[in-house]
Amino acid sequence: MSESAEALAAALTAEYAAIWAYGPVGVRLSGTERKAAAEAEAAHRARRDALVVQLSTGGGSVPPDRAGYALPFPVTDRASALRLAVQVEERTAAFWRAALPVSTGAERDRALAALVEYAVRATRWRRSAGLTPLTVPFPGRPG
Amino acid sequence: MVLTCPVAMGRTMRQDDASELSRRGLLRAGALLALGGAAAPLAGCGLLDRDEPPPQPDPLAPLLDESRQLAAGLRAAATAHPDLAARLLPLAESHEAHAAELARLTGAVTASATPTATPSGSPPTDRSAALAELRKSERAGRESAIRACAAAPAERVALLGSVAAARATHLEALR
Repeated sequence: MSESAEALAAALTAEYAAIWAYGPVGVRLSGTERKAAAEAEAAHRARRDALVVQLSTGGGSVPPDRAGYALPFPVTDRASALRLAVQVEERTAAFWRAALPVSTGAERDRALAALVEYAVRATRWRRSAGLTPLTVPFPGRPG
Repeated sequence: MVLTCPVAMGRTMRQDDASELSRRGLLRAGALLALGGAAAPLAGCGLLDRDEPPPQPDPLAPLLDESRQLAAGLRAAATAHPDLAARLLPLAESHEAHAAELARLTGAVTASATPTATPSGSPPTDRSAALAELRKSERAGRESAIRACAAAPAERVALLGSVAAARATHLEALR
């Protein structure tokens, strides 16, 4: 598998997990926050679908989704749901950042668009959660 | 799993192809010259000059300057509007962290060794006008970082992606 296909396959597994995580997140939120969670989930689904098509038409292997994913902490209320939403966006952003150096052209543009979008969404979730600061210096950078 | 059509995501612009082509053209011209050997007097020295160019400013130099300017603008606004300082100063620190990384990458003098960039003009006295101006700068900064990321070699692209994303999050934090 090419480096690029590997990075995209890794991004796909992150998208699967993100979509799964928005289940428990969504049920703990209400009103505009629940709506924002639904929009976030839809964005992750759209990228998942595009990745599945791209990887399978490229002849690469498509990693399968799993039945469930381990949450980093129990999601029991609005506060923990928002915290998880922040983590989901920041972690998914990191996978797209990792795809940048091994992609070129339109593929790089798409990876960057995902990194930027998820970083911005993480900032919105930080604001909802009342976390400060609202931003991190290097979105998507490991560590 | 249901496969839907790929969803259009992001931009699809390319802009660095032209420079890539011209660079290849130059390399090819250089190769031809080498094949021709020293028989022909090299009257047009333009091509040879390009083989060993004088030190050019790094293509990321403008982005580094911009990071310093954005930081300076935020610090000036925080001084003029102390009630905004808690919001603005972390953003200034992020730009300074970017400047330090970009300086390291480009071999430029480190930010601490140079005088702090001075913002052009003093920030508006009206709070919301000051925020609007900062948003405008961050938006322009996001766009230039996106362009730089699209055009950069692989070893620089992850940092530039983070810079673009950070500037986008600043825009959000200034709303």
